[in-house]
Amino acid sequence: MSDQWRNRLMLAVALLLAAIYLFPLYWMYVTALKTGSAMFATPPKFLPSEPQWGIYSFVWESRNMGRYLWNSLVIALGAVSLIAVLGVGCAYVLARYRNAWVDVGLFLILMLQVLPASLMVTPIFVGFSQFGLLETPRFAVILAIAAKNMPFFVVLVRATFMSVPMELEEAALVDGNSRIGAFFNIALPLARNGILVSAILIFMQAFGEFVYSKSMIQAVELQPASVGLNTFMGPNTNEWNNIMAYATIYVTPVLAVFVLLQRRIVSGLTSGALK
Amino acid sequence: MKKIIFSVTDGRGFDIGLVLLPLAFLFVLSGLPLVYNVVMSFQEVDMFSLGSFVRPFVGFKNYVDLFAQPETQPILLNTALFVSASIAGQFIIGFGLALFFWMNFPGASWLRGLFLVSWIMPGLVVGAIWNWILSGDFGVLNFFLRETGVIAGNIFWRSDPNYSLWAVIIANIWLGTSFNMILLSVGLSAIPKDLYEAAELDGATALQRFFTITLPMMRSTIGAIIALGLIFTLQQFDLFAGITSGGPNNSSNVTQYWAWDLSFRQYDFAKGATISVIMIVLVMLASVVYVRSTRHEVRG
Amino acid sequence: MRVSRRVMLGVIALASISLPAFSAQAEDVTITVWSLDRDIQPAPNLIKDFNKLNTGIKVEYRQIQFDDVVSEAMRAYSTGQAPDIIAVDNPEHALFSSRGAFLDLTDMIAKSSVVKPENYFPGPLASVTWDGKLYGIPKATNTIALYYNKDMFKAKGLDPEQPPQTWDELVEAARKLTDPAANVYGLAFSAKANEEGTFQFLPWAQMAGGGYDNINAEGAVKALDIWKTIIDEKLASPDSLTRGQWDSTGTFNSGNAAMAISGPWELDRMIQEAKFDWGVALLPVPETGAERSSAMGDFNWAIFASTEHPEEAFKVLEFFVSQDDRMFKDFGQLPARSDIAIPPTGEPLKDAALQVFLEQLKYAKPRGPHPEWPKISKAIQDAIQAALTGQMSSKEALDQAAEKIKAVLG
Repeated sequence: MSDQWRNRLMLAVALLLAAIYLFPLYWMYVTALKTGSAMFATPPKFLPSEPQWGIYSFVWESRNMGRYLWNSLVIALGAVSLIAVLGVGCAYVLARYRNAWVDVGLFLILMLQVLPASLMVTPIFVGFSQFGLLETPRFAVILAIAAKNMPFFVVLVRATFMSVPMELEEAALVDGNSRIGAFFNIALPLARNGILVSAILIFMQAFGEFVYSKSMIQAVELQPASVGLNTFMGPNTNEWNNIMAYATIYVTPVLAVFVLLQRRIVSGLTSGALK
Repeated sequence: MKKIIFSVTDGRGFDIGLVLLPLAFLFVLSGLPLVYNVVMSFQEVDMFSLGSFVRPFVGFKNYVDLFAQPETQPILLNTALFVSASIAGQFIIGFGLALFFWMNFPGASWLRGLFLVSWIMPGLVVGAIWNWILSGDFGVLNFFLRETGVIAGNIFWRSDPNYSLWAVIIANIWLGTSFNMILLSVGLSAIPKDLYEAAELDGATALQRFFTITLPMMRSTIGAIIALGLIFTLQQFDLFAGITSGGPNNSSNVTQYWAWDLSFRQYDFAKGATISVIMIVLVMLASVVYVRSTRHEVRG
Repeated sequence: MRVSRRVMLGVIALASISLPAFSAQAEDVTITVWSLDRDIQPAPNLIKDFNKLNTGIKVEYRQIQFDDVVSEAMRAYSTGQAPDIIAVDNPEHALFSSRGAFLDLTDMIAKSSVVKPENYFPGPLASVTWDGKLYGIPKATNTIALYYNKDMFKAKGLDPEQPPQTWDELVEAARKLTDPAANVYGLAFSAKANEEGTFQFLPWAQMAGGGYDNINAEGAVKALDIWKTIIDEKLASPDSLTRGQWDSTGTFNSGNAAMAISGPWELDRMIQEAKFDWGVALLPVPETGAERSSAMGDFNWAIFASTEHPEEAFKVLEFFVSQDDRMFKDFGQLPARSDIAIPPTGEPLKDAALQVFLEQLKYAKPRGPHPEWPKISKAIQDAIQAALTGQMSSKEALDQAAEKIKAVLG
């Protein structure tokens, strides 16, 4: 079998796998365009019979989505920066040594992430209110998200540092680099891809964070998009088509940016850098 | 003084500083809330005492009460099944996909990126969509299974107590696969190609190469992913809220949803906290396993 | 301005009791209000109108999510950050009033010329009452009734002007209307394991002589048996066990169910999307001539006991009450009052439906009131689900629920 045929076959299989996996995304797009009752019709309709195209502008304007998305961006960027600054060094050290203290450190970091946000939010809220942090609600949410996602980041980035050969760093120390110098010149660049992928994953989580934001941010001007999404849920009514349209507007660009970024990050770069 | 500065810039002090700062941060923002939950599980709590630590102490009463409830044991078993089936499914499918997309072919890197969609979609939306996909009458899953002749009549995934937990597991495997796949892809691409070239020269088969090179080189990545998978699975809440609400008759209820239900539906905060302590103990055991597994890691 | 005349009435109402407030304008008092109403619903709009009046009281508004009303309120109250006024779901009112977290409004209401208890439906009024005192003011109300598809009735040889009156007729009609080949169930309702399940089941128990404090009464067992028949014979989708009222009624609108039990909140979507002729009937009763009963939904206003400005907060509530006649016309919600007529909307299907709902409201009973209502409700939900999944008989399930409820009631 020639390479060309192999490639075509592989691509066909890949497309099929992607089509199956992306079905829920497709269903989100289609449901947004259906009427509120058509989504409950038996048998299911794979294309909306009366597509409601006006829904996107309605959702955007009625919820002032630009402001919500901006707040999501502020919160996500803040949380990612905080996590990266605190987490990279921690992961680096935990990868550099192999002793009982590292065990303890790793253990603690994992342990601290165990409870779902819904159970953590009450004590965090009480604590924050005592220290006046709720006066700056977006900052409070950034702190809470950073605490929630940092363990994830540390464990992943540590695994990346594990694949940076120790000898390279030792060679740099012999060449007269300080520890700080070796960290910034050798270890950090070599672990760049793992750090970036982890940071992007965290960014997306923080972008969609809901539980902390809805409790701590009371002013609608400061709330992120995830809280805005829930304004379509009422006591007896759930406006599913509006919810799906809203989600479409917010998922699509993030997904597009990720597809572009991950291509550069995951493929190619790593293997070259590690030679 | 000079010694200390030197130590911070160039010695152990540098390392200790790098670790202690984030640990202190985590202790304040995650550790204390955890302690708050543990303390609450030994107290009598109501809405008026949420804001303080001073509450009537009741010893192990909450624990005794909890284990006397008939639904406790099934819910713990459900949790164990949910966690293990979800992690196994996510990891196996995720690894398979990562290996598949690792073989270079045109378009591979683009398509791989699209798989991350499950990581981005908001929990409320994922829950609602899987609710419809798994619906008995108008659900798309039943539609495909029927059209392809796999099933004769509709399966009520959400409402049949024999399937309801599996309905959530299916959705959760979908949700977690992308995260497994993308991180395993990063791990795979970090393995030096020359190792494979050397092995191929030695006449190793593809299967042998997988077990002698790929798996050992991926050890730390795999350990990290499974440990995190456990935590994500234990925190999974939106799918339960969106698909079954833990029903019918608790057949798909798990500890994290139950703890929420007790705390925020029945306002029994102490019971909710008691369940969260049980979850902490479970994760403690799992963390020990993970930490021990890192002992055998190969530093690249 | 279209509403100005009504707003003026409100001003007069306010002025008659609170002239001094106008002189104190230099120092505005700020009152915070939390509710789940969004832009097109009453609270934010009424507040906007109130603030235009410059009464010396400035109202700030925060919208909270339906799911979080109580937990947000508790968290805020226990950390000393509660708002002055909140809207809570009626079965949860007693949780706060029984513990003194809400202000006792009895005296203020007695002196008020705007808020008159005798103007309210008895159900909503009972839900704000605890220990003989009034701890709030009903904000709006709703109930459930039987929607039915007249076209399907005709197609199956049933009289579209004679909807089922009794439980047996309902089951009989459902059997005739169920048509698996056409993907049609006879009935859509909700037996979900949350408050919605209780909301839908309690009226059935009450009509037959049961109630939350007598949940294993013979009639209640019979009601659950009927539900079980409906599920077992697939006269309603088995997914009724995990589906709320809104999604269930969605299948009615799409033509996949011939009847549906739900409330007036469905009307607007149904008018827009249901492509068939439909009507609304009172909930069927156990047998001809039996006592009617129905569920009662929607929210109540209350003032937190921690407020620093009880007088001003009450004035804000009086303003809201003075605008009750706009409730339906401007916001589509039913005021909880028997003295306000619902004006015709010009939409014949909707007007006919509203008449039925207003009739049904007379029989609406509150859930509770009891401070531990969520636990009572949970026991009822558990019983419904245990019986419908076949894990217990209706009798066993309701006996167990009665046991649990007895422990709560003490």
